[in-house]
Amino acid sequence: MAPPIVSIRDLSKLYRQGDINVTALNAVSLDIELGEFIVLMGPSGSGKSTLLHIIAGIDRPTHGSCRVQDTDVARLNESQLADWRNRNVGFVFQSFNLIPVLTAFENVELPLLLTGLKASRRRQQVTTALHLVGLIDRQHHLPRQLSGGQEQRVAIARALVTDPPLIVADEPTGNLDAKSATDVLEILRSLSQQAGKTVIMVTHDPKAAAYGTRQLHLEKGEIVA
Amino acid sequence: MTLGGFILKNALRNKRRALLSVLSVGVSLFLFITLQVALRELTLPPEDLGSSLRIIVRNKVSLASPLPARQLQVIEKIPGIAAVTPFTFFGGLYKGDEKFTSFAQFAVDPARVKDVIVDAKMDPAEYAAWVADRTLCIVGLDTARRYNLKRGDRMQFTGTFYPCDLDLRIAGFYHGTADDRTVFFHHRYLDEASGNPGTVGCWWALASSAEEAALVTARINEAFANSSAEVRAETERAFQLGFISMWANIKVLIGSICTVVVFTLLLVTVSTMSMAIRERFRELAVLKALGFRRRELLGFILAESFGLSMLGAILGAGGAWLLYRNLDIQKLANGVFLAFEVTPRMLGMAFAIAALLGILSAIAPALSVARTSVVEGLRTLD
Ligand SMILES: Nc1ncnc2c1ncn2[C@@H]1O[C@H](COP(=O)(O)OP(=O)(O)OP(=O)(O)O)[C@@H](O)[C@H]1O
Ligand SMILES: [Mg+2]
Repeated sequence: MAPPIVSIRDLSKLYRQGDINVTALNAVSLDIELGEFIVLMGPSGSGKSTLLHIIAGIDRPTHGSCRVQDTDVARLNESQLADWRNRNVGFVFQSFNLIPVLTAFENVELPLLLTGLKASRRRQQVTTALHLVGLIDRQHHLPRQLSGGQEQRVAIARALVTDPPLIVADEPTGNLDAKSATDVLEILRSLSQQAGKTVIMVTHDPKAAAYGTRQLHLEKGEIVA
Repeated sequence: MTLGGFILKNALRNKRRALLSVLSVGVSLFLFITLQVALRELTLPPEDLGSSLRIIVRNKVSLASPLPARQLQVIEKIPGIAAVTPFTFFGGLYKGDEKFTSFAQFAVDPARVKDVIVDAKMDPAEYAAWVADRTLCIVGLDTARRYNLKRGDRMQFTGTFYPCDLDLRIAGFYHGTADDRTVFFHHRYLDEASGNPGTVGCWWALASSAEEAALVTARINEAFANSSAEVRAETERAFQLGFISMWANIKVLIGSICTVVVFTLLLVTVSTMSMAIRERFRELAVLKALGFRRRELLGFILAESFGLSMLGAILGAGGAWLLYRNLDIQKLANGVFLAFEVTPRMLGMAFAIAALLGILSAIAPALSVARTSVVEGLRTLD
């Protein structure tokens, strides 16, 4: 069996607020296999986002280790980490977070500007990504000219345009209506099933959770199921 | 899309704000250059050779007190003096002007003045005609052009502190001095018109060499020490510099205005830029998550603020340069300003200020962006 893509050992995250310590994550250990579609659930404040952020390399643990494909993410310095994220992680946020002055095409192209690819090659990859989310006909639209569901699909195209092994999504359907949510979840599922991406998604919605291959429940910073 | 295109789109995302910040830099630098030009013009001492050779002899009491005409014989004989002429400021109102005449009229000895104001170039025939007729005058070319005067034209002046008027005809024109605006006429004409008081305003002399000039002034001062009309002799350059010291306060004033302008501008650009970046905090956090490094984000911010203030400089400083080059400032400022030249040094200063503005106003936002983690940045609301 292939080694896990994500390997978490004894991971803790503490926040110090004045005198009180908040334990966001408490000694979490977890392995995630390549191509899994992991769903993180749990009550508000249970540490779902914190865990996702640490795996995605935008936050650092207080204790323990988080290895992604043999890279101990916490050991990288700021600029190495930025580079690592660019090549290994695609982000999908609850509030889309597209750049409002850029068209759909340009938003998707953004992560590629760091790769040194030629313009023609970039165009090819952006076009492929937009095809995958079914928005090639909207490539010249600005975010404000798109519906919420379309914006989120553009965000997914941006997340996968660099072809990263890992896609992280924090409540990607939280701001969407049922139909758009289904579209987004279908795309995420096909990314894991057909493209072999490892998808980690946080959600509160049991219907959304049903798309995952494995569900993890967090409570008070610990995985309970 | 290129990174440059991305920066441009960001800088122009709020077009009105971009325009206003470019304009505020532009207008301020325009003002800055204008003040610098005026300052330079007011304090520019003439640098010609004549000004270090020429000696001005005036009454020790004040510039307005006259000197006895008989001093001429004494000054003439002082060693090191090459030439000397009476030089009396008439200060009349020219008939073509309504309230204020910006060019001076001096009563001189035509036969002698030629050897004192050596840089003046005149047509020999015109000069001969002037010497021969006491009702004729010789006019600086700038004034002649300004009033469109021709040889033989009449020039009438109303006395302001002399109780007499002048009615002169133009014998010809001169040019080649530091200030080609003056009208020269016969001292004898003034003597007769004012009832032969036997006085002159000043003496203007020429030392035979620049080295002699300092000695000669001392000798002149000495010659009239303890007489009824003690004099102060100094070289024209020293005289001008003394005059300029009067402007020293203005210099300080203009200097402080310039400083305040630049400082205010700094406050404005810093706050505009901070605002522009604060609004984009979340987006910048997203860019970080996508893999952009701090130095790239810093580059974006710097390029944007630098670009906007440079555009302002091009508009303001370039505009001032173009405008003052094509403007007839002499006419507009009633002759107070002659050239009103924007020097390369001033342009350099304006662009340096703009560059500094661009850099300084990028520092604060860049620092706060660098200090904010992706997670913190994502949490900020749009
Ligand atoms: N910057 C911070 N400073 C202090 N405490 C923090 C900070 N960020 C998170 N926490 C705390 O860590 C805990 C876990 O937060 P986290 O955002 O991971 O929860 P979550 O499961 O994603 O909740 P939600 O479902 O509401 O998004 C919470 O108790 C939260 O208050
Ligand atoms: Mg959360």
